[in-house]
Order: sequence, then C-alpha cells, then structure tokens
Amino acid sequence: MKTALMIALVVLGGSVGDVFITKGMKQIGEIATLNVRELLRIAGRTLANKWFLVGVWFMAVSFFSFLAVLSWADLSLVLPATSISFVITTIGAKLYLRETISPVRWAGILLVCIGVALISLP
Amino acid sequence: MKTAAVLLIAIVAQAAGNVFLTRGMKAVAATAGPAPGGLTGTLSQSLNVALQAMQSPEVWLGTLLLIVFFALYSASLSWADLSFVLPATAFGYVLNVAAGYYFLNEEVTRARWLGSLVITLGVVFVSRSGERTTAVQEAQQIGAGDRQ
Repeated sequence: MKTALMIALVVLGGSVGDVFITKGMKQIGEIATLNVRELLRIAGRTLANKWFLVGVWFMAVSFFSFLAVLSWADLSLVLPATSISFVITTIGAKLYLRETISPVRWAGILLVCIGVALISLP
Repeated sequence: MKTAAVLLIAIVAQAAGNVFLTRGMKAVAATAGPAPGGLTGTLSQSLNVALQAMQSPEVWLGTLLLIVFFALYSASLSWADLSFVLPATAFGYVLNVAAGYYFLNEEVTRARWLGSLVITLGVVFVSRSGERTTAVQEAQQIGAGDRQ
C-alpha cells in the first residue's frame, strides 16, 4: 500500500511537472535563434517563469519520492510501474494543454509505454 | 527536422551523461570504501562521497551533459507538443540498451531487445502524428488569468 502510494507520487509528480514545464515554455514562445546572447536572454526569462519553476519543483518531488521508494522496494517493480507515466502525462497534455492526440499518436504512446515496461523488467 | 535534430542531440547527451555519472560515482564509491555501521557512520560516509563526487571531472561532465539534455528538452517544448516530445525521447532507452551491448559488453535479455523494438515502433508512430497541435495564441493563453 505504502509502495503503491509512493509510485503514484513518482508518476503524478513527474507528469504534473512535465505539463507545467510545457506550459511555461509555451509562454516563452518558440525558440528560433542560435544567437548566443539571445539564447542567454531566453534562458534568463525561462528561469524566471513561474510555471517552469513550479514544474521543476514537481519533478524534484517525483525524483526524491523515487529515491525514497527504492530504499524499501525493488527497482524491478518500481521501474516498470513508472512507465505508466507516458499515458498519464498524455492525458494531462490533452486535458490541460489541449493538445490533440490522434489515434496514431495514442498507438505510438501505448507502444512506448509497453516497450519501456519490457526493457525495465529484470 | 529542427525538432528531430534537437531531440537527437538531447538523447545522446543524456545517454553519455548517464555513462559518465555512473563511471564517476562508481570510482568515488571505490575510493571511499565500505560505509561504517550506524546512522552517524552512514551520514558521514554520504557527506564524504558527496564531497569527493564534486572533485571528480567525470561527475562534473556527466552533470553538465544532463543539464544540456534538460535545456534542449525544455527548448523543444517551446514549440512542440509534450505528447510528442515525451514519447520521442523514450528512444533514449533503446540507445542505452545498444550502448550497454556495444560499449560495455553487457548481456541483453530477449525481453530488453523486444522492448527496444516495441519502443522504436512506438516512436515511429508518434513521429508520424505531427509535432504541434495547439495554436500559438491559445497555448500562451492557457491559465493566462493566473499569470501575475
């Protein structure tokens, strides 16, 4: 039970973090320059973007939950279980970021999810 | 094309970063020796390893490469869908399996080869679905009300 809750925290933290980072980056707008000074200015704006920082914070929560759960559960259980985050993040991207997930994209994401689970089996 | 190039560099940086970090941390752990017993022993050992890690060029290089990965990953999200970028970067898992097989002589189980194949197929599917489905205006306005 404790393990399941922690895995849920790892997955949700990562997914919510990714969604907020995307929201922040979309506010920054398409990066279409290779000029170093311009890129540094964009980096500065990104590090000051509220949503980007909230996203990074959620990522950190996910990462430390991952470390914590590994202190008592097997990596061979935790790693395949976290592959579900591909599906959870996609649901977040669809509902919150209003991305359109075509059937082809859904099929690809499910394949990636299954593949990552297979790879992380012991 | 821009997205493919940026994500490919990101994935390679991530795989190389992981290799350098692993090698660096293993070397640091080897010099630090086994941890003494008790909570105080574990804590002082952790501090010792952390301090030594900060002096290892391999750990610094690995960390730098992972920062490069994260910067490129974030940059691609400034123009492409999250539901495109995230599954596309899963190709990094395949790269790790291949690197382990070719460079580190690791044994690769049948399940891992099958997984690599399935991920590759999935990434091909995702790459056929177009990289952006939201309008620029709309994406910038989501949650605009709470953007003080």
